Amino acid sequence: MPFEKINSKVVRIAVTPQQAVLARRGAMLGYSGQVAFRPISGQGHGVGGMVGAAMSGESNPMMATEGNGSVLYGFRGLHVTVLDLTGDSLTVEADRILAHDAHLQTSVEFIGQGGVRSAVRGAMTGQGLFTTRLSGHGSVALLSHGGTFPLQLTGDTVGVDPQAYVGHVGALNVDLKASVGLRDLVGRGSGEAFQLHVSGHGTVYVQASEEKF
Amino acid sequence: MISGIDTTVYDARSLPADDNVNPYAFSIDLNGEWFTSKGAMIAYYGSIDFSAVSAYASRAAWVAARFSSPLYAQEWVVASGRGKLVIGDRGNDINSYDLADGNLTIKQTNLLAFETGLELKQSIVPGFVTLIGTGKFLASSNGPVIFVEPPFRADPEALLGWADCPSPSVHYDYNWMAHSLVAGIQSIFGRESGEERQYDFTGAGTVLLQSSEVQRHDPALLRIVEAQTTLLDNQSAGQLGQRLVARSQQQ
Repeated sequence: MPFEKINSKVVRIAVTPQQAVLARRGAMLGYSGQVAFRPISGQGHGVGGMVGAAMSGESNPMMATEGNGSVLYGFRGLHVTVLDLTGDSLTVEADRILAHDAHLQTSVEFIGQGGVRSAVRGAMTGQGLFTTRLSGHGSVALLSHGGTFPLQLTGDTVGVDPQAYVGHVGALNVDLKASVGLRDLVGRGSGEAFQLHVSGHGTVYVQASEEKF
Repeated sequence: MISGIDTTVYDARSLPADDNVNPYAFSIDLNGEWFTSKGAMIAYYGSIDFSAVSAYASRAAWVAARFSSPLYAQEWVVASGRGKLVIGDRGNDINSYDLADGNLTIKQTNLLAFETGLELKQSIVPGFVTLIGTGKFLASSNGPVIFVEPPFRADPEALLGWADCPSPSVHYDYNWMAHSLVAGIQSIFGRESGEERQYDFTGAGTVLLQSSEVQRHDPALLRIVEAQTTLLDNQSAGQLGQRLVARSQQQ
């Protein structure tokens, strides 16, 4: 197991010459062995990735960890969730990625059906219109406020608060629903006017907090 | 009875004696004096008097001998009397450590309280203090403390402290520096862009780490830096002043 959780907020990752790790810049807590760090810019590979990173305003500076040793990662005391991908893909906001195997494929993408609706959702979650898709075989460590819990979906639909949404695995459809009524306009809304409606087959990861970062 | 909630109700007798109430609060069985950090006290039973270290030192000469750090004297109080004193720090985990004729260096903003058998000194490393002697002390950490053995390199923000091993040296990641210089990330102030600087520990001992947290403001930091500027001559001090003014206007 290359990703080993030491406690709720710290993960230990073994780095070998065959297996490099990409991590959020500034998230390294300490290391032993011969390990070197190299700043990289932009998520994903190729022109698409570069353009995506530029368009999304370079949301998340990353670095590569290479060499031979074991490295501890954590970030600002946030909780860490480790997910193992076995051929499926994870969609997540870029700034929630603490670290992932370098051989996972990443791409920056526009989630949802596109169009105005997605744009509105991005604006509402305040985390940009773009999310990162990770796919392949390997592990990912995600950051959350207070830890995450999975919601299994088998063809049904679940409503999630945009601030509590962390990411999802599988073939899921994410849609923003706005139920803005007269009460919201006069400032007497329930505070839950915007919800993400997730449907399909897969798993949604939700944090037990509405705190953004 | 409310289900799902720990409904233990404590009183002066049932509060633990020198033990954790829960991971985030610690109850001291006070009979005499403890040094406590300002704001660390969250509750107490009994007759406990809190007075500033400087005020207490004027009545009891031993305080000055134990607390040999004028820099931090304003941030600490002496709790004296009898009773139960509960200590907490912003919901962080509280750990108690016992030193037996030993020494341990810890980040100043994480040290919450220590017994008077221990002597507090400023570490050579800015922002850290060293405890020497025998006794118990309390320190907070974001998440449980991780203990590692040298050789180890630690991020300065994640470093909580170290025991028994020599003071660290600073290691600069050559790889990172080369890339930063090429990419022009390094600013004139040498502001740091990430992971190029680590504390390098060698020798025998233990290194204490936590998940890096949002840094708490250390009120003594300005005084530490200001004291260092006495090394500069007048001309250099003027240049530094101009750069600092320029920086404060930029932000």
